[in-house]
Amino acid sequence: MKLVITNLTKTYKNGVKAIDNLNLEIGTGMFGLLGPNGAGKSSLMRTIATLQSPDSGSIMFGDIDVLEDKMALRKILGYLPQSFGVYPKMSAEDLLDYFAALKGVSSKADRQVLVKEVLEITNLYDVRKKHVAGYSGGMKQRFGIAQLLLNNPKLIIVDEPTAGLDPAERHRFLNVLREVGTNCTVIFSTHIVEDVKELCNDMAILNGGRILKQTTPSHARKELIGKIWTKIVERDDLEQNETVYNVLSSNYNEDNTLNIRVFADEQPDADFITSEPQLDDVYFIALKQDEPVLS
Amino acid sequence: MFSTIFFHELKYWLKKPAFYIYMAIFFALALFISATTAGFFDSITATTGSSRIVNSPSGVTNLFNGLTIFIFFLFPSIVGVSVYRDYKSEMHTILYSYPFSKGNYLFAKFFSSILIVTCIVLVIGIAMFIGFRLPGTNAEIVTAFDFKSYFDAYWVFILPNILLFGAIVFAVVTFTRNIAAGFITVILILFVQGVTESLLSDPDSRYLAGLLDPFGAAASDYYTRYWTVSEQNELHIPIKELILYNRLLWLGVASLVFGLVYKFFQFSQNALSFSLFKKAKGERATKRNFGGIIRINLPKVNFDYSILQNLKTTWKLSNVDFKYIAKSWPFICIVLVGLIIVLIALADVGNPYSTQSYPKTWRMLRGGGAFVVAINICTFLYAGMLVNRSKTNRINGLIDVTPIPNWSLFLSKFIAIIKMQILLLAVIMVAGILFQIYKGYFDFEVGLYIKELFGLKLINYVIWAFLALAVQTLIRSPYLGLFVLIVLSIGIPLLSLAGVEQSIFKYNEGPGFGYNDMNGYGDSLDRYLLYKGYWLLAGLMLLIVTALFWVRGLPHSFKERLFIAKSRFKASVAITLLVLLVGFFTLGYSIFKETNIDNVRYSSKELEKLRVDWEKTYKTFENYAQPRIISVKTDMNIFPKERNFEASGEYVMVNKTNEIIDSIFLSHNGYPSKFEFNKANVIVLEDTIYDFDIYQLKQALLPGDTLKLHFTVENEPNTLINNNSPVVRNGTFINNKALFPSLGYSGGRELTDNKTRKTYDLPPNDLKPHPSDSTALGNTYISNDSDWIDFETTVSTSEDQIAIAPGYLQKEWTEDGRRYFHYKMDSKILNFYAFNSAEYEVKRDKWKDVSLEIYYHKGHEYNLERMMRGMKASLEYNTENFSPYQHKQLRIVEFPSGGFAQSFPNTIPFGGDTGFIADIDDSEDGGIDYTYAITVHEVAHQWFAHQVIGADVLGATMMSESMSEYVSLKVLEKELGKAQMRKFLKKALDDYLTQRTFESKRESALMYNDGQQYVHYQKGSLVLYAVSDYIGEKVLNNALKTYVEKVRFQDAPYTTSIDMVNHIKAVTPDSLQYIIKDMFETITLYDNRILDVSSSEMDNGKYKVDIEFNVSKYRNDEKGKRFYSEEGRDSITYLAEGKETPLVSVKLEDYIDIGIFTEDDLDGKKKERILYLKKHKITEINNKISIIVDEKPTEVGVDPFNILIDTRSDDNRQKL
Repeated sequence: MKLVITNLTKTYKNGVKAIDNLNLEIGTGMFGLLGPNGAGKSSLMRTIATLQSPDSGSIMFGDIDVLEDKMALRKILGYLPQSFGVYPKMSAEDLLDYFAALKGVSSKADRQVLVKEVLEITNLYDVRKKHVAGYSGGMKQRFGIAQLLLNNPKLIIVDEPTAGLDPAERHRFLNVLREVGTNCTVIFSTHIVEDVKELCNDMAILNGGRILKQTTPSHARKELIGKIWTKIVERDDLEQNETVYNVLSSNYNEDNTLNIRVFADEQPDADFITSEPQLDDVYFIALKQDEPVLS
Repeated sequence: MFSTIFFHELKYWLKKPAFYIYMAIFFALALFISATTAGFFDSITATTGSSRIVNSPSGVTNLFNGLTIFIFFLFPSIVGVSVYRDYKSEMHTILYSYPFSKGNYLFAKFFSSILIVTCIVLVIGIAMFIGFRLPGTNAEIVTAFDFKSYFDAYWVFILPNILLFGAIVFAVVTFTRNIAAGFITVILILFVQGVTESLLSDPDSRYLAGLLDPFGAAASDYYTRYWTVSEQNELHIPIKELILYNRLLWLGVASLVFGLVYKFFQFSQNALSFSLFKKAKGERATKRNFGGIIRINLPKVNFDYSILQNLKTTWKLSNVDFKYIAKSWPFICIVLVGLIIVLIALADVGNPYSTQSYPKTWRMLRGGGAFVVAINICTFLYAGMLVNRSKTNRINGLIDVTPIPNWSLFLSKFIAIIKMQILLLAVIMVAGILFQIYKGYFDFEVGLYIKELFGLKLINYVIWAFLALAVQTLIRSPYLGLFVLIVLSIGIPLLSLAGVEQSIFKYNEGPGFGYNDMNGYGDSLDRYLLYKGYWLLAGLMLLIVTALFWVRGLPHSFKERLFIAKSRFKASVAITLLVLLVGFFTLGYSIFKETNIDNVRYSSKELEKLRVDWEKTYKTFENYAQPRIISVKTDMNIFPKERNFEASGEYVMVNKTNEIIDSIFLSHNGYPSKFEFNKANVIVLEDTIYDFDIYQLKQALLPGDTLKLHFTVENEPNTLINNNSPVVRNGTFINNKALFPSLGYSGGRELTDNKTRKTYDLPPNDLKPHPSDSTALGNTYISNDSDWIDFETTVSTSEDQIAIAPGYLQKEWTEDGRRYFHYKMDSKILNFYAFNSAEYEVKRDKWKDVSLEIYYHKGHEYNLERMMRGMKASLEYNTENFSPYQHKQLRIVEFPSGGFAQSFPNTIPFGGDTGFIADIDDSEDGGIDYTYAITVHEVAHQWFAHQVIGADVLGATMMSESMSEYVSLKVLEKELGKAQMRKFLKKALDDYLTQRTFESKRESALMYNDGQQYVHYQKGSLVLYAVSDYIGEKVLNNALKTYVEKVRFQDAPYTTSIDMVNHIKAVTPDSLQYIIKDMFETITLYDNRILDVSSSEMDNGKYKVDIEFNVSKYRNDEKGKRFYSEEGRDSITYLAEGKETPLVSVKLEDYIDIGIFTEDDLDGKKKERILYLKKHKITEINNKISIIVDEKPTEVGVDPFNILIDTRSDDNRQKL
């Protein structure tokens, strides 16, 4: 099933246009929504997840008009917000049972089987009797996945799920997500380019409420072959280089020199050597092009 | 650092809209209440007439303090939250690593929030100041602005209270990080305060109560308790020792609490947790860091989104929410403390002399009233908690995207609230049953408990729950919502003061219900349920409002919520709302039609105007000669099941005057009636508003001529809403004045408050003529159209009931399924009789040749013997001391409830809740046997009212009520001994002194009294008892006997108090003539106290007792102003060493009891024995005397038995 977003706009009370006439089409599989902090990712995801109403525009998932028939979408939706809390003094088992009931699992026996299964998938079975409020960040995030699975969702929206997870947790999380996402639509927002690279078959870069670029990770990189150049400069020369070249990123080396990456169709200078395009480059190029031009 | 945090906090509040909302609410509240008490709404509601100044120092203190109590409910969200906020915003993770000291942090947080609270208090003060002076307030009851009143109230009471409660709430919220806990703490403190107050309500514990009351009110009460109206109006509350001790004590507690906060507060991440169990042994925790590629194969389960399933889920969700409430320890505290409170309320612990009734289930249910506020506040609070629960716990992002419909979510909250209410109501049931078991009473009537608690009462709370849910959903801030709801629940009933008098305009208002053993709920239930049904419809509409505004997801502004609400307002919703609206208005209109259109309804303002017009129109006829009724014959048909009556009767009237009477003024009532005179007449006036008709006789009535009036009266049919008849299903009690016509103008409807009268241009009202006015003695105070009458009646009722009226039963028969009783009186009686009908059992006995009968409700056998004894003792005493009993029969007849008994000729209707179910403890420590006392009193009325009846002038009730009460005391004294009388006298004294402080017009001396109960019962009995002590019982009774013989069954002119007092005066020795003046002619109060006593054993084995004591007395004028001399300057003074102001007294030549007591040990029980008791002549305020007694004394007293009226009865004795 395809998620089609057309002309979506949302302006907040304080005047910020969080979503600006946005159009997007997302098919089955893992979709990465990449964007810096404050780009409007969460707003977009909350809007798709029926938590927020846009000012205008439409969202269709298959033949469900999401804005009109929220219930229809909720039946097949799995949503994990960027941060969430839980009721205190309730164990994972009880809370999941509670969510299963909310999601329409009518029989108690069904709920028990289901809850056991999602607990095992997320490796929480051993701590199922413990209060979720006392879970560590990773465990809580896994609990988030567990609750999301309960209604066997067709559309999964996860908002910056890997922020703050240790490498092991992050891998486990992404693996589970990948596993779930094989035959449904998973929208996955992040500002960590790495996540998208590893996981997604489709992606978009969002900033200022607009889609800057929609592509696939491999295609995006392919596009840039031969256009990314790098060179080592002294710290003091950075500003000058930045005025001359289209500098995408710069990082320190151990000897206090800088490694700069430049986007150019041809070799800008003899000092530059060509470099393998990274997904980061795609991201930065998109952002760079969106930056207001200073006159 | 202190100032940085302090000013940051202030800035935070000044920017917050809630701060201004709170101020606005308090401003409005204070303005409304002060303006209302000052008579602002007098133009639309009844005139606020009183001799009380509303902004007198005590008026200001009471109102100011009272309003501040509401602020305590804001403490959790202002003071409590000041530290909590840092946790909630997770600021603490950063803040607590900063280099400032704990002290700076805590003090700045605390005092900034206290300052904010103080600002709100200031607003209250300003609003009161303005409110009292709004244009349109009644200038007569408002005095000039007095800064000291506000200042004292603030510094002495309000500020220390704010600090105390602030510190407590600050501590609770800081440590628990739970605002609800702060709230519950406030409620608990108010509870505990109420409990200590009732535990220490006994006069002897008042000092302790004054010390322990955290609000300080009991401390100021200690000094101001007996203040007369004039004193209340003028004096500032004396900031004397007890008040200071109290304030210091509680400020000490406040500092202690704050000190504890300081000691235990730590800049740490985690809340302090209390655990009953030891911490589990720590274990090293690691998690699995590898693996994690798994197949996901979710089991196939059924998803069901049907309505039925959603309903099931709703129930399940409500269980989760209910568990959350029931398991939270603040709630558990409420339940436990509530249980204790109800038990204490039931046991009436603080009142050692009170006699309880048997713990009937209906009484237990009434005792549960102590818990009402708690249930309401829990409803308001937890509605807010539940509505905001998912948001507070930030789980809403997960819940709101599930396919559960909105209605399921809010309905689950609603159901959880109702489950909580049921739990709280069950507390009342548990408390009631526990108390019944404790009392050894096992007739639990569980059905009644369930019906009333989980049926009748629950509906009321459910209607509040609708409102709570709606308000909390709209406001979305649980504590602001709670506050708004509290203001609403208190404010809605107060709307009456602003002229909104009808219940149909005030949410969840309406008639209540009452229960008694005889008549059950009577007809009160139908009306109650009708109104509740009406408000239930309103509640359901509120539920729709809740549905429309229920927050799902994350709307960003109220505008957006409005937009969402609009989009949710679909056809189905509109139709439901419309149906409810139609139902609501139909029901409301039918109530309105019935109460306003089909039947005339008068607002209290209109009623007041009617009274004015009545006087203005008809007072001119007051002295118009009228014939006197000399004989009454009636037929009274009572239909208990239908609650109807049909009556007819015939008056025989005679022109006893020397004038020719051409017109008859017939005053009747609203019942459909027919009147027919046996002489030709023309009706010249038929006033259907006042039911006052004038018939002009074609042929005038000459002196001595007779006229007959035949009349019929019946009630209009009863409806669901209007009860048009005084007949009840079981236990009818109606007297003739409520049913039958009377002759002439009656002054009873006139307004009495002179200030109110002035606004209507009416002359001042003196209530009744002075007894020295010999032209005013033509009527008894019972009736103005008759003297003594012949009486005969036939009463009928349903077959299963007995009907009773004064007179002797001539004949009883059954006809067409109805029972008839024909009663006839063989001697003349006053024109005052009653009809009773119920399913009675009868107990019979005899005293000499008088047959005694008690008609009682089956099951109420407890005290029949006592009543019989009381009847006999009273007959005995009155016959022996005064005159023979005029009847051959005496009957006590039970009626359902009302808390009183009333004496009619040979018949005494007696409230079923008054003496029949009293659980009397006959031991010496037991309470007052009031069943016996009331019986003696009512029987004595057969003499004092039904033989000796005063003219309708001031002081008339002294010859009836005071005399009956005196007889009652004397009979009790005979039965129990003199030593036991102190508890009766002390109670009468305390009641007199307390009730006179509520006087709104004037208090006159006993022999000129206006008929106030506290004068003719309490003071009257104290005075007559004291006189009998001074001049001797026999001497007094002989004088009274002469008096009774002179005036019994006399015709006009009737006797007055002057006549009676003259008889007493005649037998009083010259040296004691002053007591006549002090006790009958003036309001004189003593202040007697023991200052110092010591005793030493002498060589001969006797004991010398040295006593220093003060005696002083003062007089009060009718407004309660003190004065010390009659004419000239004959008052005496005494300046004690080290004191600045001298004691002043009216000149003393008084005889005062000095008593010395010892204690005997009787079977382990201490029993007091008199060693010495003698009246000493006292001429000075300060006295030192020495007395020698034979045995070792243990206690000494001046006026030790509280025979005199003494403003402080607890300092008359001192132990050695």
